[in-house]
Amino acid sequence: MQHREDDVSEVAGGICGGVNPERWVDDHGDCLYRYAVLRVRRPEVAEDLVQEALCAAVRTQSSFRRKSSERSWLCGILKNKICDYFRKLGRETCFTDLEFLEDEMSHKFIDQGWNHDLGPAEWKSEAEVVMDRAEFWKTFRDCLSKLPARVGDVFMLREMEEMETAQICEALRISKNNLWVMLHRARMALRECLELNWFENKPKLETDG
Amino acid sequence: MGNADKSSSSSPENPSLLAGRNWFESLLMGFIAKHTPKCQEVVRLLSQSMEMKLPVTTRIKIRFHYLICVWCQRYGTQIQALRKIASSLPERMDDFSADTLPYTSKERIKRALRETHHE
Repeated sequence: MQHREDDVSEVAGGICGGVNPERWVDDHGDCLYRYAVLRVRRPEVAEDLVQEALCAAVRTQSSFRRKSSERSWLCGILKNKICDYFRKLGRETCFTDLEFLEDEMSHKFIDQGWNHDLGPAEWKSEAEVVMDRAEFWKTFRDCLSKLPARVGDVFMLREMEEMETAQICEALRISKNNLWVMLHRARMALRECLELNWFENKPKLETDG
Repeated sequence: MGNADKSSSSSPENPSLLAGRNWFESLLMGFIAKHTPKCQEVVRLLSQSMEMKLPVTTRIKIRFHYLICVWCQRYGTQIQALRKIASSLPERMDDFSADTLPYTSKERIKRALRETHHE
């Protein structure tokens, strides 16, 4: 699907000779928007970033080489805008998530050992199996949205974008220790949320799909 | 669960490889519990081990801790699974979100593009 759209847009571009930036919105808008939402998670921010990226693309049209598809070129610009956004966020926001981060999840532990009733349960299916199910991603998204914004950002940069620890610290201007604490809390909270909302309530997972 | 006598208490499931079923196991569990970090610390270390290589002594201690604590072992496996899940997200973008740009936003962006174009 995506390839076909790329082909069409290249042909159209070729026929018209020039490029009509407004067409980008119809051809690639949704795709770019989804890309941004996945990363910044706030729809209004994602919209602004798409707009910024497309405006930047208009200004640098001449740099577009037909070697790459129009969509991946635009996606590249959007990616830079998202990086800038996180960088700016790193400078502007101070910690509002302290409460979440300071929560040692002490109710889960007794004398620093697991409270047996609340210890991790065995997940009834493998991660590989659940990933094929669209509803799983809805649960995942819900769980992610329960994290404080910055903690969610850090988790996604590390685990989805697979950015190195040092890169994240530099981009967000936080210390390594701070990053570790955030990742630790994010993992703990996400693990628990998935367990409660997916793994424990889907006993027939392997047979009902 | 760093505490040996707690681990053999009324849990509905067998908590670990060494479950304190006889005096020898209980003794061994007590010894391991004394010489390995407590669960709360193990859990923190497990997360840290995904960011850096832990010293070999720490890694050995965690292995021994697993013998007396199945919860920490599970926790370790599950946060690794979490990593796998999150890293596959870009390929599953459409499952994660079927959002589309609202019509009004598209029109607004087009207007902005026209303005930029004429600058």
